Amino acid sequence: MLFQSQLYVLLFLPVAVLLYYASAPFLALRQWVLIGASLIFYGWWDARFVVLPVAQIAATWIIALAHERSGRNAFLITGIVINLASLGTFKYLDFVLLSIESASGIALPRAHLVLPIGISFFSFQLISYLVDRMRGNAPIYPFRAFALFVLLYPHLIAGPIVRHNELIPQLALDPRRDGLGERLGTGLVIFTMGFAKKVLLADQLAQFVDPLFEKATSHALDFGEAWTAVLGFSFQLLLDFSAYTEMAIGSALLFGVLLPENFRRPYLATDIREFWRRWHISLSKFLRDYLYIPLGGSRYGAARYVLATLVTMGLCGLWHGAGWMFVAWGLWHGLGLVGCHAWQRLGRPLPALAGWGITMLFVLVGWVMFRAGDFATAGSMMVSLSGLAGIAGALQEKPLVLAAAFVSMLAPSAHELRDHMLTPRPAYAMVAALLAIFCVLEVGRGAPVNFIYFQF
Amino acid sequence: MKRSKSGPARLAQPISWSRFAAIFLSSFAGGITLVYLFIVLVDPYDMLPFSLPFERPILSTAQRFTYPQIVRSRRFDSLIVGSSTARLVDPQQLNAPFGARFANLSMDAMTAWEQMELVQYFLRHVGPPKVLIVALDQRWCDSRADQTLTLHGFPHWMYDDNPWNDYLHLLNGAAATISVRIVGYQLGLARERIRYDGYRVFTPPESQYDLARVRRHLWGGGEPRRPPDVPPPALSTEERNALSFPALAWLESILERVSPTTLTVLADMPTHIAAQAWPGTQAAAGEAECKARMAALARKHHARLIDWRIVSPLTTNDENYWDPLHYRLPIAERLAHELAEAVLAQRPSVDGSYRIVVP
Repeated sequence: MLFQSQLYVLLFLPVAVLLYYASAPFLALRQWVLIGASLIFYGWWDARFVVLPVAQIAATWIIALAHERSGRNAFLITGIVINLASLGTFKYLDFVLLSIESASGIALPRAHLVLPIGISFFSFQLISYLVDRMRGNAPIYPFRAFALFVLLYPHLIAGPIVRHNELIPQLALDPRRDGLGERLGTGLVIFTMGFAKKVLLADQLAQFVDPLFEKATSHALDFGEAWTAVLGFSFQLLLDFSAYTEMAIGSALLFGVLLPENFRRPYLATDIREFWRRWHISLSKFLRDYLYIPLGGSRYGAARYVLATLVTMGLCGLWHGAGWMFVAWGLWHGLGLVGCHAWQRLGRPLPALAGWGITMLFVLVGWVMFRAGDFATAGSMMVSLSGLAGIAGALQEKPLVLAAAFVSMLAPSAHELRDHMLTPRPAYAMVAALLAIFCVLEVGRGAPVNFIYFQF
Repeated sequence: MKRSKSGPARLAQPISWSRFAAIFLSSFAGGITLVYLFIVLVDPYDMLPFSLPFERPILSTAQRFTYPQIVRSRRFDSLIVGSSTARLVDPQQLNAPFGARFANLSMDAMTAWEQMELVQYFLRHVGPPKVLIVALDQRWCDSRADQTLTLHGFPHWMYDDNPWNDYLHLLNGAAATISVRIVGYQLGLARERIRYDGYRVFTPPESQYDLARVRRHLWGGGEPRRPPDVPPPALSTEERNALSFPALAWLESILERVSPTTLTVLADMPTHIAAQAWPGTQAAAGEAECKARMAALARKHHARLIDWRIVSPLTTNDENYWDPLHYRLPIAERLAHELAEAVLAQRPSVDGSYRIVVP
């Protein structure tokens, strides 16, 4: 089920919230209600897929229990391997086979497995729990609470990636506790903000971005087309994913749960390190804590730092998709982080505007790799963008691109809105409600468009 | 004495969060309910079991959504289906010669599959047509026609026979906009967008015709070419057997279902030579095979087949076209006339612009 569908907004969400509050006095009952709702939400795409997260959750919990009783880390390592194997099988098996085939020239069969939606997200959450147990930072939770930590539908499909100790204590709290009105009010507004960004901007951008990137696979784009495609995609990706996050945070608030921040106006970053502190924050933190720091981080000299950064970012790219273009995108950012780190050590900071310009150019080049699909298309687009093939054509869809740029740069994040900006006034409530109605009518025009990050 | 605040000032006053949430929810639920009730009462597509009784002209150019209404009106006993290559044929021009009441239900980018769906819808709701004209184009010979059934989001729910499920699809901006237009029409503020028999001139005014610009569209900026007078390359039996035209199965399903009393005409529409398979090429051989199979179907099911999609004075004259697919308005008038001549009088073309393939 999609957040921005009428089915979700007009039926699923109201019914789930009503049932949740009707069962609020009973902890077990309300948690089962939420688990049931989450399974329906997830199974809406394909009921068979429900088996996979449930099986991974059950296996992980049993393994954690075995570790608790035996104290043997081998159990935890087994659990990590099981979760990685699931992720690897469904997401990377055909990619590995193709890569081996390309390198060896030996024809290999393909598995052609359908990628279960959200597998990258829930597998990472389970792995983080097992690693935390290894570090002595994760207790054994009751199965119901543990299952809900992973299954809670607002974050199940595309994050934010939440840690057990951020979420499970909240799930035990009575949703009717003090601050109920504020959670409901801010949740509704934050959800509406994401709804509008998705339906009115991201999906509109997709209508010209997708054909341009499609065209680029067979024809060289002109200068104007290339810049339209890349700028359009840059805004589309941020708006699409941050919209998902806001709808997730808004929905979760209606159940009394606060999910972590994921985006904080990343296109205002003046260096690439800052960009990664603002972009997909929950993934950045996960990679930092479970990959970069265990690899040594910056504690063991320059060479180790470079290696840790490149490995982390290469895997970050691979996490986004089973393809070498994603790896190249990750490595590109790894190099950027290393270069930025080196420059900052020189102690000669650039003027903010110059830093911002360089950072955005760097990010845009990265998005070409991220979206282009293959190196030939990416190379052709780079040539078009650089003007080496001429500067014919003009930026297309200017009003929409400008509106998208404005919202991408200036719209507050969900947490900024909740913590600092939104005050309860009747006019705000009415404007937000009208915006939500407009979005419901807009999304009713056709089949809702999937979120980009669902493919990861 | 304490003065009460004015309305706008009160709206900007801080309130409790509970009240804020209540205002949001009541505004949202109330707004959605009002919009939905308005739409279902106005019934923008004239399809619901219960709605206000007033005239509903065609106030939207979204043909896939508006044409079922024309069919259900039962005002027409004959129809033309096809893509935009047939939209300019004025049904009123056909009524007198054929002694029928025509609707032109051709749609922009209408796929062969959509045409089959529309004909079946007509058969279910009106019965066998007096005259059925299927305007063929290159889509019917597409070897991958079954991979793209629709290019424009075909509303299946409008073409089933269940009016109740339509209630689930009306909460949207398009339906709300048309509903507003219908109310505007009742008040004399809006005009119909498509004539009720489906006819609408979608090409620019003839006064804006610019041959140089048109030639750029026709020939992609290159020099105009003259087609060679050569037959298509001969195909071996294996090559012919390897050719697949999935849409022809849909064409046969149409021909099978129409009544023997229906005068069925397959009319291959005159696209410009630049949009046809170039004479002498392998594509032309494939096209010839497709046309041969169409002719066999027409003979089998007692339909007529008239072919304008050939190299002819009509299709080689750039001045007859706006772009490779779309001829000009005077050509449409000529086509309607030639349709009657070819079908009813079986009169061959004077200048070779059409061939009566199956009389």
